[in-house]
Amino acid sequence: MTRSSTRRAIVFATLAALATAPAWSQADKPLRIGFSMARTGMLAMATPSQMNTYELWREQVNAKGGMDVGGTKRKVEFVTYDDQSKPEQAVRIYEKLITDDKVDLLLAPWGTPFHISIAPVLEKYKFPMIGNTAASVALRQVKPGYIWFPTSAIPDRIGAELTAMLKANGVKSVAVLSNVLPFTKEIKNALEPELKKAGIAITVSSEYPPDIKDMTPVLTQIKSANVDAVLALAYPGDSVLYAKQAKELGVNAPFQFIAIGPTDAFFPKAVGAASADDVVSIAHWAPRADWKGSQAFYDAYVKKFGEDPDFLNSALAWMSLEILEQAVAKNGLDKEKIRAYVSSTTFDTINGKVKFDGVQNSITPTAFVQYQKGKLQIVWPASIATGKYEPKKGW
Amino acid sequence: MRGLFASRVWTAALVSGFAVLAALPFVADDYSIGVGLALLMWLALTESWCVLSKMTGYVSLGSVVFYGLGATLVVVTWQKVPLWVAVPAAGLVAAAFAALVGGPVLRVRGPYFVILTYGLAELVKYSIIAAESAAGTASRILFGAPDLATIYFAMFALALAATLLLAWVSGSRFGHGLRSLRENEEAAETLGVPVVRYKLAAFVLSAAIPGMVGGVMALRSTYFVVGQVFDPMLSVTVIAMAVLGGGDDTRGPLLGVVFLALLSELLWARAPLLYMVLLGAILVVFVLLVPDGLVGLFDRSGRRRVAASKEAS
Amino acid sequence: MSLLETLLSGQFLFAALVTGSLYALIALGLNLVYGTMRMLNVAHGDVVMLGAYGAYGAFALLGVSPIVAAPFVAALGGLVGYGLYRGVFRRLLASSTPASAGRLEANSLLLFFGLSILVQNIAALAFTPNTRSVASLSDVWHLGNVAMTGNRLVSLVVAGTTCIGVAWFLSRNIAGLAMRAVIERREAAFIVGVDVDRVQRTSFVLGFASAALAGALVSMLEQFSPFSGFPFTIAGFIVIILGGLGNVKAGLLAALLLGAIETYGVALTSANLRSVLLYGSFVGALLLFPNGLFARRAARR
Repeated sequence: MTRSSTRRAIVFATLAALATAPAWSQADKPLRIGFSMARTGMLAMATPSQMNTYELWREQVNAKGGMDVGGTKRKVEFVTYDDQSKPEQAVRIYEKLITDDKVDLLLAPWGTPFHISIAPVLEKYKFPMIGNTAASVALRQVKPGYIWFPTSAIPDRIGAELTAMLKANGVKSVAVLSNVLPFTKEIKNALEPELKKAGIAITVSSEYPPDIKDMTPVLTQIKSANVDAVLALAYPGDSVLYAKQAKELGVNAPFQFIAIGPTDAFFPKAVGAASADDVVSIAHWAPRADWKGSQAFYDAYVKKFGEDPDFLNSALAWMSLEILEQAVAKNGLDKEKIRAYVSSTTFDTINGKVKFDGVQNSITPTAFVQYQKGKLQIVWPASIATGKYEPKKGW
Repeated sequence: MRGLFASRVWTAALVSGFAVLAALPFVADDYSIGVGLALLMWLALTESWCVLSKMTGYVSLGSVVFYGLGATLVVVTWQKVPLWVAVPAAGLVAAAFAALVGGPVLRVRGPYFVILTYGLAELVKYSIIAAESAAGTASRILFGAPDLATIYFAMFALALAATLLLAWVSGSRFGHGLRSLRENEEAAETLGVPVVRYKLAAFVLSAAIPGMVGGVMALRSTYFVVGQVFDPMLSVTVIAMAVLGGGDDTRGPLLGVVFLALLSELLWARAPLLYMVLLGAILVVFVLLVPDGLVGLFDRSGRRRVAASKEAS
Repeated sequence: MSLLETLLSGQFLFAALVTGSLYALIALGLNLVYGTMRMLNVAHGDVVMLGAYGAYGAFALLGVSPIVAAPFVAALGGLVGYGLYRGVFRRLLASSTPASAGRLEANSLLLFFGLSILVQNIAALAFTPNTRSVASLSDVWHLGNVAMTGNRLVSLVVAGTTCIGVAWFLSRNIAGLAMRAVIERREAAFIVGVDVDRVQRTSFVLGFASAALAGALVSMLEQFSPFSGFPFTIAGFIVIILGGLGNVKAGLLAALLLGAIETYGVALTSANLRSVLLYGSFVGALLLFPNGLFARRAARR
């Protein structure tokens, strides 16, 4: 109670001292937006793609005079804490943000477990928050109302769409290699039945724990199986391990799919441009002329951070911010109005139109991207493709 | 000397502390209840850890294994078994595990034991991960988990139980036996202390409550990922609190838990970017300057007071 | 693949040696430092991490490959070890007695955990938590039907020769024998005239230098971040405990054993069981041999 009013007092005093502006009005009070982000611990290396996006947005919004709150512009201030890569800590942080810091708006943390853990908190305090970097079939079980998930990268749809893409490219046999962590395991669970239905042979099906250091045995097996496609359902750390060892052992199937990793800028840097080329991965965004602001976002991100945004996570983060902006501009800070608005409106974002059916995005298709000459292009489905799929010619 | 509670002042402090914690959910906001819950959780875990590691000198770096086993049981039986059965079952599973492996595990000593317990926790973790993935499960969500107040009172009961357990062990003949084997296991055995049985008993006793704590906390975060529930940092934090507290009875864990829990509360809220750095620095400085822990500080000042009053009279 | 094919596979042998030699190098440093301090240095893996950042920095700023940077990074690591010994540990070790040493177990764990947290988080603030790696020597060489990525081959050679060199030093060279003596029984070595202080200093320096060297190799092999130190520490501990604390040569053998389990164990069962096999072997071996696989004498009192 005292802490937040002290902080506010200091901000006022500073603003008043700096600005020789006349008597201040409501517009001078900063808009406080709270969220938690893993800055230490196991997941700390994954969060920058989201944190950077939040920072970029705040900079742009404040440069325009502030965020539009029902007609009045207010400068944005972040209230953020480190959840140490622990969902229980994220729960406590959001409780604190709502009850203690009394922030005006909330942004999402990084990752599926975190989104799901805080959903009950949001519901208890009737505080709407637009999610972003969360993807799991479990999301559909979250009670709709105070949280929404704009991503289309939901594992069961990935299973169906990937199978469709493989079939469309004449793939007859695949090797499936999966990390046992939730997201990739869910994809494997959904994918294999789809592959069987489509008559595609699963010559090798293998799983590995997240702390794996050497894939030689399983890759040797895959190489001798001579498949048309290798589907490496990997997380960022093992995605690089897979690419490097596939190169060493000569696992040269023409269709190379790596679930998570390639959409982040670190991947081509880690494995080299030649290895990264023609790898297929999961994302539903790329700069497109008919998606307003997509090129501008890309350019601004590159300009500020000197590297590409993560085509999946950074794009989702930005989309959630755009939706929030539009909702707050229309409805001010009235939480029930925001909630009703987000649940029923079709939004314009850098990823095209977004509309929520319950907690899920019903418009954006499940899509895949491919590295082509150092740039990520959407290669599936044809409706939003920016490039055509090319088979991979070795590592 | 070491009665059920070391001194009347200490007992009074303990009782009033628990009274305050009991009243918390009726007067405070959710955030403060969360702080209280964390405090109670660490208390239950650390007191239990001391029953084995402080009393026998066998320093365990794997206490998270009991926590994780308990959590797994509650999550796996979710909505198939009522919670008032599942949570005690969680404690039983953890204790049974301890009873099963305790014999061979406790034959290993010193730093070998430390790393063995770590390896054991990781082995259990990865075994459960392999089993879950073989069964096709990716993750589990608990919908309809009890509210914060219920969880809080369950944890309160566990923390109280752990405190009473350590207090009883600390003051009993069993406890004296444990201390004797800590000082010199071979000599204790020669003197007739049933060393093997005592060690095993301490091990099993130290497992039950953390198992139930794990079960209760699974209800708090509702999203169960095996890797995160068997987090080695939990084992490390328990050791930190016990060492900072010092001593081998209930005073140590209480002082250590309160000190470290409140410290990290303060730090993560006020210095969100720097607080891990500050925490690390404080730990290092503390161990170097105050090797006997907070209890040591109290004891030293107490002795000085006694000596001073003796001089005066 | 049949059992015989698996065991005779040159590719698997290469993989096992690459993994095992890196573990061996890390375990080597850990054994030397433990042998001196008799305390579990839980921050050892963070020295590896810093070594990786050192090599990365040399690559990013000066364009030198980690192989070229490696000796310098190792020297820097050695310097850090020297500083720590002179500044902190010499006094600590001189004042401890065999009785107090035992009680320090939990305290020392906490001390080094505190240091580890400090180092990791300062590194995170300084270098950002993003993962890095050095893309160097990524061409693939072929020897018969064994494919070897350049950086993995180099890592094997560098780690292997360093470990063999130090092991030779400890068994043949007078200074090395003195070091073994100090590791085994410090007071006795002192009595027979060994310059214990100098030996401890050298142990420390060598220990930290080898950790930093391992870091330089890691920078080419894996993605690393400020928080990647801990897994290396744990791997190191599992190896030296398995071999028996302070027994440098046994540690090297245990490292190779673990590398073999990682490769052959998985090849013979399934990738799913990789961690279960590793930790299961460790726990099983220790339960059967409470003082390590190669313990030569009775349990220390």
